[in-house]
Amino acid sequence: MSRPSKGAAANAPEAAPGKPILVVHDIVKRFETPDGILTAVDHVSFTVAPGEFVSLIGPSGCGKSTLFNVIGGLIDGYEGAVTVAGERRSGPHAAIGMIFQEESTFPWRTVIDNVAFPLELAGLPKAERYERARHFVALVGLAGFERRYPAELSGGMRQRVSMARTLAASPKIMLMDEPFAALDEQTRLLLGDKVLQIQQELKQTMLLITHNITEAVQLSDRVLVMTYRPGKLKREVEIDLPRPRTSEIVSSEAFGRYVAQIWGDLREEASRGLRDDEQYQLERKDHP
Amino acid sequence: MAEAGRLTATAGRPRRGLLHPVTALRVGIIVAVLATWQLLSASGLLYRDVVPSLAAIALALYVTLSDPSFYFHLATTGYEIGIALAIGGVSGLAVGIALGASKLMAKAYEAYLYYLGPTPKIIFFPVMIMWFGVGAGSKVAMGAVSCFFPIALNVAAGMRGIDPVLIRVGASFRANTWQMVTKIYLPAMRYPVINGLRIGLGVALIGTLLAETKLSNRGIGFLVIQAYSLFNMPQMYSLLIVLFVISIGANALIGRLGGLHDIKRS
Amino acid sequence: MNSFAAFARSGLLTRLLPAALGIGSIVVLIGLVEALIRLGLINRFIVPMPSEIFLAFPRIVVEENVLSRFTLTISEAFSASILVAVFGIAGGVLLHRFTLLRQATETWVAAIAAAPLVLIYPLYLVIFGRSATTIVMMGFTAGVAPTVLKTLEGLSGTRRVLINVGRSFNLTPSQQFWKILFPAALPTIFVGLRLGLIFALINIVGVEFLINFGGLGQLINELSERYDLAGTYAAICFVVLVSVCVFVLMERLERWLRPGD
Repeated sequence: MSRPSKGAAANAPEAAPGKPILVVHDIVKRFETPDGILTAVDHVSFTVAPGEFVSLIGPSGCGKSTLFNVIGGLIDGYEGAVTVAGERRSGPHAAIGMIFQEESTFPWRTVIDNVAFPLELAGLPKAERYERARHFVALVGLAGFERRYPAELSGGMRQRVSMARTLAASPKIMLMDEPFAALDEQTRLLLGDKVLQIQQELKQTMLLITHNITEAVQLSDRVLVMTYRPGKLKREVEIDLPRPRTSEIVSSEAFGRYVAQIWGDLREEASRGLRDDEQYQLERKDHP
Repeated sequence: MAEAGRLTATAGRPRRGLLHPVTALRVGIIVAVLATWQLLSASGLLYRDVVPSLAAIALALYVTLSDPSFYFHLATTGYEIGIALAIGGVSGLAVGIALGASKLMAKAYEAYLYYLGPTPKIIFFPVMIMWFGVGAGSKVAMGAVSCFFPIALNVAAGMRGIDPVLIRVGASFRANTWQMVTKIYLPAMRYPVINGLRIGLGVALIGTLLAETKLSNRGIGFLVIQAYSLFNMPQMYSLLIVLFVISIGANALIGRLGGLHDIKRS
Repeated sequence: MNSFAAFARSGLLTRLLPAALGIGSIVVLIGLVEALIRLGLINRFIVPMPSEIFLAFPRIVVEENVLSRFTLTISEAFSASILVAVFGIAGGVLLHRFTLLRQATETWVAAIAAAPLVLIYPLYLVIFGRSATTIVMMGFTAGVAPTVLKTLEGLSGTRRVLINVGRSFNLTPSQQFWKILFPAALPTIFVGLRLGLIFALINIVGVEFLINFGGLGQLINELSERYDLAGTYAAICFVVLVSVCVFVLMERLERWLRPGD
């Protein structure tokens, strides 16, 4: 499964070429609920090569957020293994940077203090912290906003701050859980451009969890499609669009074909999810 | 770390057996406090009379509760507080709504309320006596003035916290002012209003009781100061215990009426 | 007319109007009361003339040592504030840290916050005597419970995602507390402090008034017993000044600690 995609991984600095930086092996995660045992993730395995951009896409309720938390080390009690750069680990790890779906900037810190947070934890002296942090602030396109507070920024800008903060920790893998879900379509496309730019410049390995097909195809080298609960990997799609890319790619024919293909797979899963939801709501009404 | 999805929390509070650690801890704390009290009392380390024995307090409690005149005083205080809350509550609500609805009014007047609020209203008591006499009138006035401020301020803040969408819905249905207040504003700001009422109850109690201690011949405050002046400490403690139990109960009742499920949320 | 239009358009009008309205209407009210009293429509022995109150200010400053009394009351207020802050916040942190303790005692603390503790003052009189200590202790007792509750609420109400950010960076429990939980809880903690200080101040001046000891509360008691109504009202203004000082200072403190809000 670890076919390196063309182009992006060629200059990967970490690990020997061809050797995956992330191995997700046979993850099973179940939850106990009042309605019985729920299998959120059902034997999911995949790998990610260094410098690759992989998206995990699936309908709501397919367990992708659970997978995000498992890979990031925020939950345990699962079967299977997560291996990062050859090391099997559990629990949060310096090699993995996480970006969350919700607002996660620290409202009491300025932009630069937010971004410098991981450097502060590492014990870097103030001057060096700020210099490095400034680099990442500029990288996400927020130069000039260093002394502002998150409350003064828009939602998209705040997500960029969170991104810069995670990048400042120089993680081997960036793990993102629908970071642009709260933003409007146009902002998403433009931020997507930014992400691509950053990835190209830093050769950063990225794993994106999303439900947005356009986003997945726009950004990724590979798209992994998940089924509805219990979540399994339904299909792996290699995105053979040229790099470097910009958001203009969304109007190309090839783009449209990929989207159609993925939607074809997803639609069935999504409608199962919808029916399930309605059924549940009906039942709840009858047994309050 | 359970995920979201369809996981539902267990409804209601779990029933706790006697050996449950929380119950055990509570019992332990109560026993420790009572034991320390009794020891202090018996040893006479602290002024002997300030710490009467538990038995003396229990006896005084019995005496208090079985004395019919006690209930007369209780009723007096209760009546004073009730009316005070009604007056202060309604006026606080009206002013709060006015301030919350108009930015101009708020900017002009709210600061005065904000800084006048923490001023203890007991200092106005001599004035109240002049205006309302030495009877229940001045006590009610004290209570009403006390609770007006937190209620008005909380309601004003609550008004500003209402989701503007709801107000637009009301306007689109052309609701008149009364309808807006009763069908949109009040339901939308249940929580701030209830919290304002609880704080209002707290300060109204303080205002009224202090007024009774200062100048009155009836009411719980009067009984307390009378017990103190006669240095009947067990009696005083028994009164305080009853008073605290009732005020805590009233607070919880208001909270429950407002739909809050425990009295700690404020 | 031209300059007025320019003035109105400059936005200065919108900014000055509320303050002008507030102060203006109060001035009008005072003037109205003055007129009504002079006309005999309001009994001047129940409501003193505003002009007399105005004249009473210099009198009470000189004759009644208002300034030293003001200092006494405000220092009592500050002592109580510090005690409330230290023990209130520490208490909230403790309850947050030890879940069992919290489950056992949280409703009790809420009950204490709801009870009219002021009536305990005769007991404090016996224990601490007629001294400033009694007054400060009364203030502290009244203010600590709401602060504990709000601190607890602030800490446990920290947004889940911020905690997860901390976990994703592998923070130690101590780092998690100081770098995430505590700063996130500060606004709520300050709400609790404000509430606690309101109760504390009410109790401080109230007890001064009742036991006829201390600063401004005692002064008001004395003045009212002498039926010096004008002086009483003037002294009341100084009490309001205490409240203004305490809360403005707290606002400054909050803004300094959380400049981002």
